[in-house]
Amino acid sequence: MATTLDPTPGAPPSPAPPSGPPRWIYAVFALGGVAFVTLAVAVLLLGDRTGGSSAARWHGTLLEPAAPRPSFVLTDTDGRPFDFAAETSGELTLLFYGYTNCPDICPIHMATIAQALDRINVDARVVFVTTDPARDTPERIRAWLDTFDPSFIGLTGSPEEVAAAQQAIGMTVAVTEPADAEGDYTVGHGSGVWVITPDDRVHLIYGFGTRQDDWVADLPAIAREPDWQARVP
Amino acid sequence: MTWWCSASTEPWSWGFRAYPGIWVLMTALIVGYVAIWRRHRPQTLTAADRRKPLWFGLGMAVLWGATDWPLGTLGAGYLASAHMVQYMLYTLVAGPLLLLGTPEWVARPVVTRLRLEGVLRIAAKPLVAGVVFNLILLGTHAPFTVDTFRASQFGSFTLDMLWIGSGLLLWLPLLGPLPEHVHPSPAVRCIYLFLASGALPMVPGGIITFSSFPLYATYELAPRVHDISATTDQQAAGILMKIGNIPIVWGYIFVTFVRWATTDRQASATTARQQRSTPEPLARH
Repeated sequence: MATTLDPTPGAPPSPAPPSGPPRWIYAVFALGGVAFVTLAVAVLLLGDRTGGSSAARWHGTLLEPAAPRPSFVLTDTDGRPFDFAAETSGELTLLFYGYTNCPDICPIHMATIAQALDRINVDARVVFVTTDPARDTPERIRAWLDTFDPSFIGLTGSPEEVAAAQQAIGMTVAVTEPADAEGDYTVGHGSGVWVITPDDRVHLIYGFGTRQDDWVADLPAIAREPDWQARVP
Repeated sequence: MTWWCSASTEPWSWGFRAYPGIWVLMTALIVGYVAIWRRHRPQTLTAADRRKPLWFGLGMAVLWGATDWPLGTLGAGYLASAHMVQYMLYTLVAGPLLLLGTPEWVARPVVTRLRLEGVLRIAAKPLVAGVVFNLILLGTHAPFTVDTFRASQFGSFTLDMLWIGSGLLLWLPLLGPLPEHVHPSPAVRCIYLFLASGALPMVPGGIITFSSFPLYATYELAPRVHDISATTDQQAAGILMKIGNIPIVWGYIFVTFVRWATTDRQASATTARQQRSTPEPLARH
């Protein structure tokens, strides 16, 4: 006997059975899509910026013609004379003039360089020359530099010696501003970090605003370059 | 005098800085709330209605505290971690408190007057709210956005407004003053909050925490605050984004489940009582 699936005549029509996948499948796919898009956008927006750096293009300013490594003698934080040209000859050197009471530029430059050098395998000597010899004793400079990197070299001297050290690289000598009621004062000074390459030439200067990843991108390329003169356009 | 917090090269100090623009906005919000309350206040207030001003006041206090000196100043130009605290306060504390503090009879005239019914009906869908909230989170924490917007007062103001708006949006399907915006299912509400505010922000939070370099020039090159390094500051910001939401998100989920279970139990007890009190049909012989 044949069976029929037809509803009983006269009975109300039964609701159509649901077709297609259940609704929660759509929700799972939607949430998965949202998670994927979130991840992709996050990586795109927040990812490291170092990938785009080019070794052929410096974040600092190329100096032309490149001046010779400056020559001056100051006192290091152990109290010994430090002949800058002789002690750093043939080495990649970052030279910065500043002062330990500086509220912004100096600590930011030092911290940025220290943290960048932590991340790369580059032999570079960092030399800090005070522009405030009245307050920056060797002990104070040492304690301050140690907060960034104990290997950083700190130099001071008499006001005349310090001024001569600034003139040696072609800088305008720093200006001490009038003290406030509490005796505090600021010092107006150049904000650039001078990069002296192993050929004993000052090829680059990095101004305030240079970031960690700028140093990380540039320093290995600077150190790798065997013939700096060939790079000068 | 500046009217809104923005990035500054001035060394950080705990000296007070005035931002009249913030005072004007906060005062306008409070005055507007009071005015609408007085105008549309029903004859009799329920106990819940009487608690609303307290929630609103707390929300305004958090909003003001997150925007003004010192947190606003620190977040706008000195510390990425302060920036993140601001964001968390806007989106996880001020947002829900302001919604909790707004009675339906205050919200409805505003929504009607501004013709927001259609927009809010779509925005209150959990999927829409969650996606938009996270897109704002990602967009406003991208280095380019932060460095560009925080550099000016108007940009900084825009960023703060976006955060406040996204905080209100996040909580709209959960605590919205208009009942038609609140999702009826407690389970959906909990899953939504966990995904939108707990799980997805862990991705950018992780990237910020484990990034090799400071992502934001604004904070990397800002005068240091109490010798906190840019890297440490950024890691703190990332950790905050990753796990700072836990107390709020899980607190909400806990409360929702407890209420759900309580309601369920009461409903079951009522049903059982009704069944016991219904006389059994007489047997026919």
